[in-house]
Amino acid sequence: MTGPAAAARASILESLRPPPVLQGPVRIGDLDDQLLTPVGRRPPLAWFIAFGVTSTAALLGIVLILYTIATGIGVWGNNIPVAWAFDIINFVFWVGIGHAGTLISAILLLFRARWRNSISRFAEAMTIFAVICATLFPLIHVGRPWLAFWLAPYPNQRGMWPNFRSPLLWDVFAVNTYFLISLLFWYIGLIPDLASLRDRTPPGARRFVYSVLSLGWRAASSHWHHYERAYLVIAGLATGLVLSVHSVVSFDFAVSLVPGWHMTIFPPYFVAGAVFAGFAMVVMAMVVVRSTMHLEHLITAYHLDMMNRVILACSCLMGYAYLLEGFTAWYSMNPSIHHTFRQYIGGTYGLAGWITIVCNVVIPQLLWLRWFRRNIAGMVFVSLAVTVGMWFERFVIIVSSLHQDFLSSSWHVYRPTLVDYGILLGSFGLFFSLVLLFARVLPVIATTEMKMVLPGAQPRSGKGER
Amino acid sequence: MNPAQGPFSVLGVFDTPDALLEAIGKVKGRTGHRLEAYTPYPVHGLDRALGYRKSPIGGMVFVMGLVGALSALVLELWTSGWDYPLVTAGKPVVSWEAFVPILFEITVLFAALTAGLGMLLLLNRLPALRHPMLRSRSMALLTRDRFGLAVESAGEPLDPEALALLLEDAGAAAIEVVERPPAPGPASPKLLAAALGAILLACLAAAGTTYWGIKLFPRLIPMAHMLDQPRLDPQSGSSFFADGSGMRPPVAGTVSQGAPPRPLPNAEASEGLVNPLPGSAAVFRRGRAAYDTHCAVCHGLLGNGEGSLTDAYGARPTHLTAGAGRELSDGAIYHVIVSGKNAMPPYSSDLTEEERWAAVHYVRVLERALDALDTDFQGGAR
Repeated sequence: MTGPAAAARASILESLRPPPVLQGPVRIGDLDDQLLTPVGRRPPLAWFIAFGVTSTAALLGIVLILYTIATGIGVWGNNIPVAWAFDIINFVFWVGIGHAGTLISAILLLFRARWRNSISRFAEAMTIFAVICATLFPLIHVGRPWLAFWLAPYPNQRGMWPNFRSPLLWDVFAVNTYFLISLLFWYIGLIPDLASLRDRTPPGARRFVYSVLSLGWRAASSHWHHYERAYLVIAGLATGLVLSVHSVVSFDFAVSLVPGWHMTIFPPYFVAGAVFAGFAMVVMAMVVVRSTMHLEHLITAYHLDMMNRVILACSCLMGYAYLLEGFTAWYSMNPSIHHTFRQYIGGTYGLAGWITIVCNVVIPQLLWLRWFRRNIAGMVFVSLAVTVGMWFERFVIIVSSLHQDFLSSSWHVYRPTLVDYGILLGSFGLFFSLVLLFARVLPVIATTEMKMVLPGAQPRSGKGER
Repeated sequence: MNPAQGPFSVLGVFDTPDALLEAIGKVKGRTGHRLEAYTPYPVHGLDRALGYRKSPIGGMVFVMGLVGALSALVLELWTSGWDYPLVTAGKPVVSWEAFVPILFEITVLFAALTAGLGMLLLLNRLPALRHPMLRSRSMALLTRDRFGLAVESAGEPLDPEALALLLEDAGAAAIEVVERPPAPGPASPKLLAAALGAILLACLAAAGTTYWGIKLFPRLIPMAHMLDQPRLDPQSGSSFFADGSGMRPPVAGTVSQGAPPRPLPNAEASEGLVNPLPGSAAVFRRGRAAYDTHCAVCHGLLGNGEGSLTDAYGARPTHLTAGAGRELSDGAIYHVIVSGKNAMPPYSSDLTEEERWAAVHYVRVLERALDALDTDFQGGAR
């Protein structure tokens, strides 16, 4: 190859090389000082104000949930044929939010995307909190939550077993497994950081707590040997799990015969939507965290750019899924499905359908522009739109499909009550309260994982490079 | 177990991972003791340098995943296909396709728990809160940014001076002799007593909570909603109809099936009614069944007004076989059965016409039996 061609090739290769994960020189020990020092310190006033707002919202939600339980779910707007409404919308919404965490921590780990190390801890924590918010809704949706243990297959005096052919039972198993495994994965990742915290803390009650939580981790190479292997195996298992969880959630709809639900596209469509909404939430949270905790050099514009690219890709998938839904409706030649699809974009809830399309497909296209991927205000605008759009998408899927089903004599216009809105607000309050608490008592960035990718952290001999 | 003597290990601290790897090459095979490295994060190449075998986690996970899959399959097949065969949507009871999602979830659950807990508890023997290394002065450096290489004793004595020299030659920036923690002494009687007391208290609290939980929980307000229904209870008025009754009276002239209409305006009008049934053994048996089923809970099996419900109910049922109760005519008893009296609800809906009169007969039988004549006993009982 001649001179100019080789130079051009080299410059193209150079432009394709991923930029460094971190900005500026960071020494290994400095990471501990930056990331672990704020843990457990008295937070700034702004934190108290934010926590006051979110915990008040959470309290409102708890009061309204107690009111619902004490009075009965008649206080919600649900009524036949719209038996599923805010409760299930919120459930699907929150489970979806959680999926970004698992994707970042597990799938990107398997793909060796090193930029994930800065955001994995926070995203995993968000997974756990989102799943907590999500499980709340089916629990209160059953009406008599104190009998929810009937869902468990245990020998009982009724002589009955749960119906293993029901997607609703699949859901119970999928979501509970997901929560348990996410918690385990998160905790295992936390152990070395907790050991670092223990060794930084002077003797006392706090050190005792860190000692117990870190299980006496002593950073031995024989432990790391098994630790890394187990971490990788759990990541592999969690990858299959995260894909299965939202597929199973979509089976709640797709396995039924309701027009608009009975479609084979539902599982991939739901998984893509979940990752989409989850990444938008992670972007919004990371933007706040990096500026309030001064972590701009660890969570750089490059990280935000990469996350925004994932959002853009998911947005295109969503657009494809919406088109395919229309195509399936048309191709089915089934008047009921035609009717339901017309209800998505017209009729009583037509506005919700258009909010979905604009927020999920049109606005995220702005991310093709580099400015939007790297500008804080720009990406917050897009992420907010995605969050709103994905909530409305579930509204359209659930309420628009149900309110006019086969039996036209039962058609009914669903209207949420103030209690419905209050519990939705409460779930956001609970989520952000947990996030704020987490940011104060545990390291928000996986310090140990970050040390691994610092320059000079691995032996130069490079034989063990993986 | 004989407690090991002497220091636990001799630890050299290095500044860079390269120095650590180099030192391992120099020290390995020259001590006869176990070598262990300590690094704040996984350092690549250590596994090979220290000669670790492949971690068995993959195999453990595979086996336990299979166990999980089999458990789930057996559970689903046995419950849905055998123990409680429930046909839904016209599917066969063994519809394995529908069992796949839960099969998958349980497999992942078993496999991931095996990987996580197996790594922590089995392979790494954690929690180990009393490990000698946790008392090392260098630990804070080793979880931060330094790298340690320790020559450790598995119980055999170490030669600290020689090992310190060896590590120093290998390039250690600092050397520490890590001592064993003092063996825990026997628990003091005071501690034992406190522990036993705490266990006893915990048992009492658990027992009390369970007892009151089971007793009270189903009666709490949201849990007791099944009892809170818009129905008309006995002795209560309806708020639905203006006259307070729970149902509309039948249209005038309606005749009930099975029994002739018998207008009973009041007790006086019933006085003169005559029991239409013969006093036969069959009728007495029938009357006894009706009486024991419906009347005895309050009036008592002997008609003495001391039934099993008397105390709980608070009312005093009539003593049927003595005093004023004994003076009642057949018609009067019949009237009370049909219409009720004081706290007693009407039994016209529970007893048929024949059962009512049979019960009246049986009341007479009880009276006679409790105050029998000599002639009633065949062959003379006295």
